[in-house]
Amino acid sequence: MKWIKLGKIFDPMDHILPNNCREFAQSPQALVYDSFVRIYFSTRMKDETDKFLSHVAFVDFDKTLQNIISISQHTILPLGRLGCYDEHGIFPFNVMRVDRETIFGYISGWSRRKSVSIETSIGLAISTDNGFTFNRIGDGPILTASLSESFLIGDPFVIKDGDIYHMWYIYGTKWIEPVHQADSSERVYKIGHACSADGIVWEKEGRQIIADTLDENECQALPTVLKYRGMYHMFFCYRAAIDFRKNKTKSYRIGYAYSMNCATWTRDDTLAGIDPSCSGWDSEMMCYPHIFLCENKMYMLYNGNEFGRSGFGAALLES
Amino acid sequence: MKEFAQAPAVLIFDTFIRVYFSCRPSPDAHGQYLSYTGFVDLDRKNISTIINISRKPILPLGSRGAFDEFGIYPVSVIKHDNQVRAYYGGWTRCESVPFNVAIGCAVSHDEGKTFTRIGNGPVLSYSPDEPFILSGPKIRKFGDQWYIWYIAGKKWILTDTGPEPTYKIRMATSLDGIHWKKINKDLIENKIDEDEAQASPDVFFYDNLFHMFFCYRHSINFRGKNGGYRIGYAFSQDMFSWTRADEKAGIDVSQFGWDSEMIAYPHVFKLDRQVYMLYLGNHVGKYGFGAARLEDYSS
Repeated sequence: MKWIKLGKIFDPMDHILPNNCREFAQSPQALVYDSFVRIYFSTRMKDETDKFLSHVAFVDFDKTLQNIISISQHTILPLGRLGCYDEHGIFPFNVMRVDRETIFGYISGWSRRKSVSIETSIGLAISTDNGFTFNRIGDGPILTASLSESFLIGDPFVIKDGDIYHMWYIYGTKWIEPVHQADSSERVYKIGHACSADGIVWEKEGRQIIADTLDENECQALPTVLKYRGMYHMFFCYRAAIDFRKNKTKSYRIGYAYSMNCATWTRDDTLAGIDPSCSGWDSEMMCYPHIFLCENKMYMLYNGNEFGRSGFGAALLES
Repeated sequence: MKEFAQAPAVLIFDTFIRVYFSCRPSPDAHGQYLSYTGFVDLDRKNISTIINISRKPILPLGSRGAFDEFGIYPVSVIKHDNQVRAYYGGWTRCESVPFNVAIGCAVSHDEGKTFTRIGNGPVLSYSPDEPFILSGPKIRKFGDQWYIWYIAGKKWILTDTGPEPTYKIRMATSLDGIHWKKINKDLIENKIDEDEAQASPDVFFYDNLFHMFFCYRHSINFRGKNGGYRIGYAFSQDMFSWTRADEKAGIDVSQFGWDSEMIAYPHVFKLDRQVYMLYLGNHVGKYGFGAARLEDYSS
């Protein structure tokens, strides 16, 4: 595969964003309408503790992805209530059209902890106004920690294949003790898979489905899957567990795996066909990919340096 | 361990009964506790006689970031095949609210002296209608089917002294005690108000009827006698629909002493033709638990 980079197509600093957010436009996820493409993303504001809260926003593009039509200025989905799984942020937010009237929005909800910084779980909100606003089906999650997946359930990506809904998501495997007591722990997570008959009640497969290439502490995130010509293609991002924020050799890269049957996956990152640029907004890392079809072309949206602090870009599959 | 002996749960052996309970070391510099579970063995012929006390907790706390890193409390035990299974509330600490709880499971191969987790994560956790605080598990088996009664958090209420949670009694069923199907409704109607907090749903089958002893309290200002825990009672033909009848509980706070301000966390069991209740008194068991014997029963 070979991707033609279209460059950065959205910079949050160029626009007014809802919910007092500024900076960050992370994990872009597209929904294709008749005459435009709506890209949902997570952006940030700081709360009274000086920590970030991630809010969902969207930007509408024309179908060439070259012109911005408008940007949401309203609250698409408020954060969770006190003590709930998504009280401190929604990032990412995965949308899926179910029928003409209904769009499902899968929430990767954040909630702050004491001994480690964060816990995450997956929830569901539904839109009946064509993707303008979403309402939760409940205050609690639809997918959370379980016996063999102890914490950090997040990054949901859902497709419907025939009668079955598939979700690819991530689950935490460990929190690494910091070398110095004053530092925070770093987390390790892997990609998992679950199935559902209705998109609401899920059954986990309960195993790591994408093999590691770095080491056992490799972190895998943001799986995005497209079924194309009978084959399932998964793009995701992966990095080292430690020292990945500034060190270019350990930061996020785009990974790739394929499957004929959705059950066994063959990983081959060399087939991904996209790498960091030599310089510029996506030169130090590439992360949070999302692939979608628009007018018979396959696009990838993704974030670059600083995990998408300064926006997201696009690439077009050449062949 | 220095303080508390909470949520007693009994396992009956030939010559003794093993009472599991949760207790705590002194609080840390911020006044926060960890909670562990141990046990005391009482003479079966005279349950006022202590034969043995566990030297260490039955299960170590969870590792960094795990759901049960800060507490294992309360615990409910059941014999199954050659093992003993324990279902417990696992505690973690949060930023915006003080804690969260989910339900874990551990198994013992040495007659209930030491336990090992069956997984590092919870066996029962949050769902759309149960957003937080899944705790107070009480495990039962009737026939081939497993049942778990537990409490599910409803809301965090903001008070002058910080957020306080309120929770209701719920249940789930299972074929193996591992994969659970929640009923997804509150089982016990409210008496105080819609924010009444209910806990310790202790179900007991006796004289062809299912009996539940539980405790309930006000949602705020509940740490003293006025709003504090009392023992409630409900009965059911089928375990799914319950009729609340607190006036039939037959136990109330004493006039003086260790259980004069509140009574809580009842556990009822049959032993050699008697029926006993273990329960907590003032400060929700800070100074220990006590017992009562059923004197008069009428359905």
